[in-house]
Amino acid sequence: MIIAERKPLGEIAMMVAPHEKVTVIGCRSCVAICLAGGEKEVDTLVSAMKLKSMNEGRTQYFDGFVLERQCEKEWVKEVEDKILAADVVLSMSCSLGAQTIGDLYPEKIVVPGLNTAMFGVPEEQGVWSEKCLGCGDCIIHTTGGICPIARCAKSMLNGPCGGSSNGHCEVNLEIECAWYAIYERLKLQDRLDLMDTVRPPKEWSTSHSGGRRVIVREDAKLTPHQIRGKEASL
Amino acid sequence: MKRRVQVVICRTCSGAADVLDVDRLLRVASDAPYVGSAVIVNYACNKKSISEIVDDAKSKEVDRLLLVPCSKKDVSPTLFQAYVKKAKMNEFLMETVDLVGEAALPHRDDPARAQAKAEAKLLAAIARTALLEPLHKITEDMRTKNVVVIGAGVAGVEAATTAANLGMHTIIIEKSEKKLKVPGVMMTKSRVISTEGHAGNYSLSIEAGEKRETLECAAVVVASGGDWSDAERRFIDAAPDSKPLYQLDRDVSEGKTPDGTVIIIDTPDPEGARTAAQDFAWEEALDCAIEIRKKSPATEVYLLFQEMRAMGLAELAYKEAAGLGVTFVRYDAKRPPEFDSEDGNRVTVLDMAQDETLSIAFDALYYASVSPNPDNIAIADALRIPMSPSGGIRRGSIQRGPVTTLRPGIFVCGSAKFPKSEGMARLEGRAAGLLAAQFAAAGEVESGGSVAEVAPEKCSACLTCVRTCPYEAPFIGVAGKAEIAIQMCQGCGMCAGICPSKAIELHHFTDEQLLTEAAVYLRGDF
Repeated sequence: MIIAERKPLGEIAMMVAPHEKVTVIGCRSCVAICLAGGEKEVDTLVSAMKLKSMNEGRTQYFDGFVLERQCEKEWVKEVEDKILAADVVLSMSCSLGAQTIGDLYPEKIVVPGLNTAMFGVPEEQGVWSEKCLGCGDCIIHTTGGICPIARCAKSMLNGPCGGSSNGHCEVNLEIECAWYAIYERLKLQDRLDLMDTVRPPKEWSTSHSGGRRVIVREDAKLTPHQIRGKEASL
Repeated sequence: MKRRVQVVICRTCSGAADVLDVDRLLRVASDAPYVGSAVIVNYACNKKSISEIVDDAKSKEVDRLLLVPCSKKDVSPTLFQAYVKKAKMNEFLMETVDLVGEAALPHRDDPARAQAKAEAKLLAAIARTALLEPLHKITEDMRTKNVVVIGAGVAGVEAATTAANLGMHTIIIEKSEKKLKVPGVMMTKSRVISTEGHAGNYSLSIEAGEKRETLECAAVVVASGGDWSDAERRFIDAAPDSKPLYQLDRDVSEGKTPDGTVIIIDTPDPEGARTAAQDFAWEEALDCAIEIRKKSPATEVYLLFQEMRAMGLAELAYKEAAGLGVTFVRYDAKRPPEFDSEDGNRVTVLDMAQDETLSIAFDALYYASVSPNPDNIAIADALRIPMSPSGGIRRGSIQRGPVTTLRPGIFVCGSAKFPKSEGMARLEGRAAGLLAAQFAAAGEVESGGSVAEVAPEKCSACLTCVRTCPYEAPFIGVAGKAEIAIQMCQGCGMCAGICPSKAIELHHFTDEQLLTEAAVYLRGDF
């Protein structure tokens, strides 16, 4: 899922300082689960912002609530009145939620309360780690199920670099070396021959390097006929 | 619901510290919103007062009680039971506010401040009490009448014997190979690995030698005992012939008294972390010293200590020992005694009382300190019960539950909590065995009340509660949302505190109740 982290209070306060009516909107999806933007975080932030604004002598009104999924228009539209009544919307969702609100209500100022960090997994309570970069061309079947693109600082494709030391990465000794992990995994699975297979340079056009990606499923899209039917029934 | 609070102020306890103005407290309570009746009684735990309270509750048509000024764990359960039965109240609509422990005692030098704090706390408690909702319990049948006792020491055997005499089926789990004749079953070389289930229907995983077994039981008694052996290694190193005190105790009781000069010493403990562990040691040490001096007056006995803790009746032993010519030497923990074994056995110590350095040649050295059983960590883990900072198993309220743990159906006795004398261990073993038998004999167990509950429409099934709960109460149910197993929930509130979707609420500790209490306390108005 998407892992995000709340911005420092000072930074958030600075973004909303010029505005009087602040609506804080959280999301019950990924960012709730990674303890960054669920109802609890929204409540906490609203209280903290009220105190900060009072302490710094501003007259501001804070109101907070949470949507099921902020990245979907239908959920956002359910709280249209609250968005329209605000001077600024402080989104406590990943950047997708913030941009969904911004795209739906282009005249509204939307500011991010979270830093969207990565695609990650909860390792244990309170610890999340990155495991995918969204390159658009998955190769983990050849690397023992471990992604070297996301888990190696250099996204190396054919074994570790010279900085791998005792299973750790030279960038930060607390990070494991992805290729060390891959080697260990392949050894366990008795597939070390895969270490000898040369992977040619990766086709990066499926990644962000190929420009903004849009995925279309023609079979899932509504036909013009269906759209007309829907409009007629409304 | 009426939300009319009956405020009962107990004069005995409120006046105990001689700081609070009880009549003023009554006026404050009478003027507060939601208060249907405010009365002063002489002693709330007394039968006569209880009937006064019940009569007042009936005539004033209140539906809840706030008892001032003690904490819930110190109130006589009879009061609450009578209130439920005779005044027909929900048992969860009874609250207390501890004005003695939280206002009178901490501020006894400043009565005005104590009174102000007491009044604010009283008003806050009234506001919170008014917001409480009635709660209910569920009952479940017990599958067995088994009582498991962990440890076959003095306390454990006593507990098992007591429970067995009351008709329970007892099983003793003992880590060593020692075989004893005990009622019921005794499993040697075995230990508890983990617990499932809940009070009344626990299911213990036992490792017995090579085998793993599951043991169903209604109640558990922890009697893991203390430990003499390794904690004092450095004394053993410093003076090669040193022995633990229990050996001296054994010798003396067999009529063998040592000759020459005997030293009994405790453990230097500059941080003061282990003083509780020394009580027992000193009782034993004094007894030994007295016996030696009586039987063999030529033997010199020195007691070297950092802090002598001869509690209760043991003080008489201290007096007797002093009368018999035992020499007491108090040393500074930061300058512990130094041993020298080259020139015979010799110890150099600064006697703080005389401010004089003594050099004592001795023939026998006994170390008089014990520590909690190091296995307690594993036992506490397996049973999911909290420990005390000194490494023992944490007990309940000293007045109302000295041999209970914080988990219902699990009891603790003897040195498992902190080192105890043999007589005390036996007494506690009997108490724990009795309570465990009583618990198991009931045949059914109640749970619920102030437990957590999930609002499924808010739950994201994020597993945070499942990962966080120390008791494994939350699980993801068939609807794909978190649910709380009421029997497992201990009402600790960790899940409610961490739930990112605020889907979990702990009954009686809802946001509204807590925030109102805080707001009233801080502002002094509603």
